[in-house]
Amino acid sequence: MARVGVFVCFCGANIGDFVDVPQVVEEAKRIREVKFAIDYKYMCSDPGQQQIRDAIAQHRLTSIVVAACSPRMHEKTFRKALSDAGMNPYLLEVANIREHSSWVHQKDKKAATAKASDLIRMAVAKSIANEQLHEISVPVTKRALVIGGGIAGIQAALDIADARIPVVLVEKSPSIGGKMAQLDETFPTLDCSQCILTPKMVDVASHPYIELIPYAEVLELEGFVGNYKAKIKKKASYVNFKTCTGCGACWQKCPVKVPNEYNMGIDKRKAIYTPFPQAVPNKPVIDAEHCTMLTKGKCGICAKVCEKGSIDYTMQDEIIEREIGAVVVATGYDMWDPKPYEEYGVGRFKDIITSLEFERMVSANGPTNGLPLRPSDGKVPKNVVFIKCIGSRDEAKGIEYCSKICCMYTTKHTILLHHKVHDSHAYVFYMDIRAAGKGYEEFVKKAQVDTAATYLRGRVSKIYKKGDKLIVRGEDAQIGQVVEVVADLVVLATAVIPPAGNPDLARLLGISYDKYGYMSEAHPKLRPVETAKAGIFLAGCTQAPKDIPDTVSQASACAAKVCGLFSGDTMKKDPMVSTVNNEFCSGCQNCVKVCPYGAIVTEEVPQGHGSKEMRTVAKINEGVCQGCGSCVAICRSMAISLAGFTDPQIINEIVSI
Amino acid sequence: MDYTKQIQEIVSRLFAEEKIDVFVGYRLTGFDDNQVPVLIRDAKEVPLLVFNDKSVFNLTNYLKHEHTRNKRVGLVVKGCDSRSLNLLLTESQVKREKLYVVGIACDGVVDESGAKMQNCLECVVPDAVVFDEMLGAPKGNKAYMVNVDIDELDSKGLVERRTYFEEVFENCIRCNACRHSCPLCYCAKCCIDQETASLYNGSNTTSSAFHALMTWSLHLAGRCVDCRNCEKACPSHLPLHLLHKWNERVIYENFQEHLAGVHEDDRGAFYKYSMQDPDDFIM
Amino acid sequence: MEAVATNQLVSIEKPEITAPPDWEPVIMGILCNWCSYAGSDLTGTSRIQYPPNIRIIRVPCSSRVDPWFLIKSLQTTADGVLVSGCHPGDCHYISGNYYARRRFLVTKKLLNFVGFHENRIQFSWVSAAEGPKFAKVVAKVTEDIKKLGPLHLYKKENFGK
Repeated sequence: MARVGVFVCFCGANIGDFVDVPQVVEEAKRIREVKFAIDYKYMCSDPGQQQIRDAIAQHRLTSIVVAACSPRMHEKTFRKALSDAGMNPYLLEVANIREHSSWVHQKDKKAATAKASDLIRMAVAKSIANEQLHEISVPVTKRALVIGGGIAGIQAALDIADARIPVVLVEKSPSIGGKMAQLDETFPTLDCSQCILTPKMVDVASHPYIELIPYAEVLELEGFVGNYKAKIKKKASYVNFKTCTGCGACWQKCPVKVPNEYNMGIDKRKAIYTPFPQAVPNKPVIDAEHCTMLTKGKCGICAKVCEKGSIDYTMQDEIIEREIGAVVVATGYDMWDPKPYEEYGVGRFKDIITSLEFERMVSANGPTNGLPLRPSDGKVPKNVVFIKCIGSRDEAKGIEYCSKICCMYTTKHTILLHHKVHDSHAYVFYMDIRAAGKGYEEFVKKAQVDTAATYLRGRVSKIYKKGDKLIVRGEDAQIGQVVEVVADLVVLATAVIPPAGNPDLARLLGISYDKYGYMSEAHPKLRPVETAKAGIFLAGCTQAPKDIPDTVSQASACAAKVCGLFSGDTMKKDPMVSTVNNEFCSGCQNCVKVCPYGAIVTEEVPQGHGSKEMRTVAKINEGVCQGCGSCVAICRSMAISLAGFTDPQIINEIVSI
Repeated sequence: MDYTKQIQEIVSRLFAEEKIDVFVGYRLTGFDDNQVPVLIRDAKEVPLLVFNDKSVFNLTNYLKHEHTRNKRVGLVVKGCDSRSLNLLLTESQVKREKLYVVGIACDGVVDESGAKMQNCLECVVPDAVVFDEMLGAPKGNKAYMVNVDIDELDSKGLVERRTYFEEVFENCIRCNACRHSCPLCYCAKCCIDQETASLYNGSNTTSSAFHALMTWSLHLAGRCVDCRNCEKACPSHLPLHLLHKWNERVIYENFQEHLAGVHEDDRGAFYKYSMQDPDDFIM
Repeated sequence: MEAVATNQLVSIEKPEITAPPDWEPVIMGILCNWCSYAGSDLTGTSRIQYPPNIRIIRVPCSSRVDPWFLIKSLQTTADGVLVSGCHPGDCHYISGNYYARRRFLVTKKLLNFVGFHENRIQFSWVSAAEGPKFAKVVAKVTEDIKKLGPLHLYKKENFGK
């Protein structure tokens, strides 16, 4: 026989002024199953909760209804009051008579009171069907997987490893470092990028808790939070990293030349190469597509000159498995190809380059010894035009967002140009100047003064050739006139785009991505580093364009989340998950198809008692199940029930008013 | 359309080669030219088998039978029957390797008066879509047609429809013959009979019939193949096809889904979604 | 679409049924926890007023809503039902509302076919930030159901209030 206790809160005047609370209590007492009903000014306060605890102790109550504010507010609070009194916390139901009654029906006290009574009646009826639930303990593998070895992945890996948690860091190119390794100086401090990055790269390589797996990709991730299993493909490098000393004899002698990706194709690298001199690990790999030994069976010079005999042309891709508890996705970004801007002559005119190409040229370790040069004739440019928002903020190009970093790095480029070519002049065509970070506005203002660059607010309509110069025609909206600038070199600040591999990676991991390909966070404001899938976190530009300070912050935030996840030997999980009743399950597996988390698999059970024949039924992994109930409603046999929102509970609510 | 001889030959062969344990087919009642289903377990019984345009019943209903489960089963299926077989395969109720399917390229079947049945006149998929061997020349699929009865009802007003269906629900005696005869109703315990659902639903009130028929037709939405087993079985002669054909039309017109069971591995409209699904009815 | 009864106390599906003069409809509201229920809480915090006829049930996701909840609601005390979830693409559980959307359309059309006005069950997408929208939705549904009159679902038993 159910014995329900009802506790109605005045919430000061919030409920009390608009709902006749004493009458509500009297009506509650008239419900057959209600054995105890009181009101109190502030139910959530300690004395209020004490009333609940006392009533449980004294009146042998089987479930509790608190009629107060929204359950989204204080359900946890009242659950704790129940467990403090020795009662299972899930025997509580909250009737929302504040947000759903007193605050929204302020002009009709009779109706608000009747509604409050009904809501309590519904909560009482539901609570009678509540089951005792216990938090689920899930074991946790204390090892993190970080996908991507740019600054985001590096920072996350270091922070997690410093907490003495093993990290597996997978990077798809031969070296870690990412885009930051391609930068010359970073805004707003003009720190040398390599100088602040390479110590972190070395830390990663030498950290006792980090397993660095370069030149590799994640193939598969199965399992659920705390219990993932990752399959990783180590691509064949054809170089034995254990014996190789990084002396460089091989790539010095290699006869094959290939456009150098690190320098944006401006110069060439060899078929056996390290991406850049400060690469970590500093061991070369062979590019199987271009190596004549691997493609045609001719050459073999690198093997001949290698004193350690580290070259192995027979090496194969290797697939390894790691058990993982949490994943940090840090795959970075790509740069948009400005090909659609035909009116700018992209592709036709050699002296139109992208911002990253310019960055490589002005870098000390770049292809042009740190000087910006015109690609057409190799001369040093004097007039350089920088055009911002190439692709970004442009519905017609399919990129509606702002790429966030280009305003700052364009200003940085004007400074670098000014340093490298003293008699140069920079022109910047812009729509806005977005300098919102710490020290950013000051950086821009100082640059404008120091470089005396010409800032033109307006868009460029056309670029055409005149002799060996480029004429950039645009608008100076502040004077309302069309202007034409004679340029030696044009630099386009192209949009930041998510890596092309993001959608496939997202599907492999079971997380969502948005229409552009950026990985989706669980909540843009309150949960920016988590995804909807427990145990998978996002750091850096893979989630949205951002600068280095924000990337590092987000990476450290991921590390904090991972450490929290791993802080016990087991993880506690909300028990409101679904379970299958084998007796009713017909094995149709519609639930398997519908579950967004892949939490449902099949298992074979005997057809009947002592039967040798087996039949298939569904099995829900309570560790993965997030409790949405999609499977419950899809099951025709009503074989699945979702704890906390069972069919009896909901039907009781429906029929009770 | 008469394949009696061919079917008898095939089944004899199957038994001789010990390929099947039981064959589900049609035989004459013994007192008129109507046919009933028969389970043949022995080559001696093969002469009982017939197949012609009076072979109406959808035999895949017998795949949930205690005498066919876990056995190697042969059966004969027309176009619509084979579609329900496809659904049973997709929904893991029967294993393909345990079946020997004789498919028919069907010309349509007739009712007791000899007139072609309405669902055959409106048939879109006459040829069996899953088979081990096919009898008859395939005709290919036809264009989708909206059932004439639902078209007519749709044009009537709300009150008229309400009155019409009130009578339908009143006449339902909750015998559950429709569920027993429908091949796609295989749940061990029907949801409608479970405790929670049957709350406040008496055994044969109009209200409980409403609940039962609504729920049943929604569970068949996107799966019903219009074989009319249910209507033939219903002792109150309820026009059950109205509910199923209506759902089929709504699904066909709004979700651009294929008809139930035409393709392998196709579970039906409710078990998938599209970004293009209609949204304008939602505020 | 039928012409709406001019006397709102007449049941539109069964005109011989009339309600008492002070009749107020009962609307059953089923809201998803993450978007619509949160949105309805925001309506409350913003003190936006709406008609008091609705009674709200919380579910984790709109995909938890089985059509027979709607049927059961109409069979017992509700004259109309409102189901509300997250906007497509924003479902907290990724894809729940897509499946729900299909079920809702077919259920609505089926109920209309067997003679219940399609406005008896209505649906909305209300996000956690759409406090004002929730109030508008409730007001619209309440108004619609008032115009349709009391729902007489065959023999609607009194379930012993």
